[in-house]
Amino acid sequence: MIEARNVSLEYNDHGKIVYACRDVNLRIAKGEFVGVLGPSGSGKSSLLYLLSGLKEPTAGSVLFEGKPYTHLSERERAEIRRKRFGFVFQYPYLVGFLTALENVIAGAEALEPARDRAEALLSEMGLGEKMHRLPSELSGGERQRVCVARALLWDPDVVFADEPTASLDAATGREVVRQLVERRRGALVMVTHDPRILGGADRILRIEGGLVTETSVEVAETADSRVEEG
Amino acid sequence: MAHPLAPYIFLLRNPARSVPITIVIALAVLLICGIVALVHSIPLSVREIYGYSRNFSAALPRSDPSYLPTLEAQLSESPVPIERVLKIRVAFFNVRSIVGKLPFVLHGLKPEDAAFLRQRMGLSQLTGRLPAVGAPEAVITRPIAVNLGLDIGDELLRPDDPQNYSPQPVRVVGIHESDYWFAYGDYTYVAQNHFPPVDDLVIVAKDQPRFDRWAVERFKGTKARILTHAELLRETDESLAVLLQLLSVVIGMLVVVVTVMIGLFINIYLSQRITEFGLLQAIGFTRGFLARRAGVEASIIVIGAWLLGVLVSVGVLWIVKITLMDPRAYFLDPLDWYGIAYTLPLPLAVLLASFLTIRIRFARFDPVEVIERRIA
Repeated sequence: MIEARNVSLEYNDHGKIVYACRDVNLRIAKGEFVGVLGPSGSGKSSLLYLLSGLKEPTAGSVLFEGKPYTHLSERERAEIRRKRFGFVFQYPYLVGFLTALENVIAGAEALEPARDRAEALLSEMGLGEKMHRLPSELSGGERQRVCVARALLWDPDVVFADEPTASLDAATGREVVRQLVERRRGALVMVTHDPRILGGADRILRIEGGLVTETSVEVAETADSRVEEG
Repeated sequence: MAHPLAPYIFLLRNPARSVPITIVIALAVLLICGIVALVHSIPLSVREIYGYSRNFSAALPRSDPSYLPTLEAQLSESPVPIERVLKIRVAFFNVRSIVGKLPFVLHGLKPEDAAFLRQRMGLSQLTGRLPAVGAPEAVITRPIAVNLGLDIGDELLRPDDPQNYSPQPVRVVGIHESDYWFAYGDYTYVAQNHFPPVDDLVIVAKDQPRFDRWAVERFKGTKARILTHAELLRETDESLAVLLQLLSVVIGMLVVVVTVMIGLFINIYLSQRITEFGLLQAIGFTRGFLARRAGVEASIIVIGAWLLGVLVSVGVLWIVKITLMDPRAYFLDPLDWYGIAYTLPLPLAVLLASFLTIRIRFARFDPVEVIERRIA
């Protein structure tokens, strides 16, 4: 469904060319759960932005259903992001003057069905009592759950999650990821530096210095525990 | 159910941001409307106070009594039918206006001429009586009575008042209920006691504006001076032209100051909402949508504030008219369309500044920078 062909993203850091991603080739199939592991600054978030069309590669191309993003207008790319993708970012970004419920349905075109669905979704996620509260009245975990509900509202083809647990404590983070993994119907691309939250992943990609290699959950966890022990 | 991203939702839920801009624009509109309405009350006063001149024109022989028969003969050449030519004498007194005292004419009329003019001007309702022949008496209309605080029996002219002088006290014996400002006394008394000792002619024509145009052209360069309503308006406009130009400069400066201030406000508000815009663009809204939404928000607030400013202005000017102007028979138009027109550059300039600010802010907007908290 999404394909990266020889994709590179480079930027100029005080006269020095730095690669956020380098010659990346990968495919993400329908319904697949792909984890992207890597330390800070390894380029994993950049990879997510490239795959979701939020950034254009400096070389190569990213295709969605066979069409390169670069062949699409800004409007078409935005429509794909709004209707076919869902996003959960590192920080639980919500529109401050909208309630939790309104934040979930903000991207919807038909409001009434969206409202019914969002109410059900928020209730199932334990936010039934708080769906009419403003983000400032919610905890960090609750806000991130609202973000998950927003991403999952219309069962998007792909959900992109960029370090969704980074700003949460361990227990809340696990709960947010559990809900995200269990409720999704389409593919899930989750970027993290914590292999423990990638337990259900079909594939895990490791990225370092912009280079992507494929690995397994077990290897990733072992490597991670060695890092922690060391 | 309203869409959560409908522009007015933001404005309603963020009064701390929308109210200050609204107040600044509304106050600026009030200021402009107020200044223009007050300045325009000057020509309005002239038009209303001397409005009686719509009913006739005057021909003055420029202090040469021997010219009067010639003048009368020349008037008979008029292609416009003349209803009546009256020989009158004049005395002067002052009325009060918003710009100070204005000279006003006490028309010395013969009884038959006074009757004709009363009928012509619709001065039928009279409290008191008409002036007696040869007596120091005057009849005035209600606006003059209000303006000078006079009632029947009060003195209009006095020997000890250099600005409202007559050798004998001229008392008010009658007050007409009318919107016209008009004053008249007896011809004989005025002729015997007031300077210049020359008759003036009052010409009442069937088609007064047409006669006035003819008379002004016909007597150009002669010993006669022709006074018409149109000439009065033209001279008033000419004398106020410089004042109105200065007013335009002041309003222009005000518009620039308010526009810059609002532009800065909007720029600050857009900066404070960068996270919202970055998030919305990331999850699938185009920069165009977000810019349009910000533009509609700015339009609602600017147009709404302007309308509010106009309403407040009309209300405040109405109160000023009722409490301060009417009791003195001063003139003020609370619904001064010129004043409202003068405020139009303000919302237009503010909207232009808003759209430019929004366009510049969104031209190179990258949501990833917001999501990664490189800008927030």
